Amino acid sequence: MRVDERRFPRSFESLDGIFGLIAEFLRAEGLDAAHAFDLDLMAEELFTNMVKYGNGAEPIAIGIARDGDAVVLVLRDFGAPPWDVTRPRALPNAPIEQRRAGGLGLHLVQRLADRLEYHHDGHSGTVTVRKRVAT
Amino acid sequence: MFEVRFEGEDRVRLVGRLDAAQADAALAALGRLQGASVADFSELEYISSAGIGVILETYKRLHQGGHTFLLTNLSPRIRSIFGYAGLDRVLRIE
Repeated sequence: MRVDERRFPRSFESLDGIFGLIAEFLRAEGLDAAHAFDLDLMAEELFTNMVKYGNGAEPIAIGIARDGDAVVLVLRDFGAPPWDVTRPRALPNAPIEQRRAGGLGLHLVQRLADRLEYHHDGHSGTVTVRKRVAT
Repeated sequence: MFEVRFEGEDRVRLVGRLDAAQADAALAALGRLQGASVADFSELEYISSAGIGVILETYKRLHQGGHTFLLTNLSPRIRSIFGYAGLDRVLRIE
């Protein structure tokens, strides 16, 4: 199985590089570039949450691989405390004037992912996202 | 790359990709809108929750001033993301 993995500095400025990693992978696998939207969105939401709340000191590792009819994204935050991204995030039910975008990102990931897993080994947190892709 | 193109004082075209790295600049640019306004999404390729937050904050600011903020020409994928966010029925989308 082909796995592309790179480490990205904990900065929103890393997003272009992350999107580039996904685009390169889709090209190499002969997959439709239209799949990039959902993969980019899930990678961005998870990465920016790690940047904002992870408290890790090291760059964040992002891997992408093909697994049968799916693409698998793996984000690893070294030295971060436990942070379960699989806990259901309900949409805010407040009137529009009181709504905030906070929490929306993980809700979107949970809507878009076909499978979302989280593991913490006592040192690092790893999020694995599986997304089916049509071939 | 992301750009807010003004087409008059009350109409903007959003161009490119509105992600977390672009959100602050986008919010500042949309801060120029002061009255009833329209945002054309026809050239917007991508939006994340950070970008949706920019749209939401702009909507609330204009709404509190008694003005409308209409979103037009959303691609089906971007429209579905607003739907997942529960905003397709509370924002004005055509």
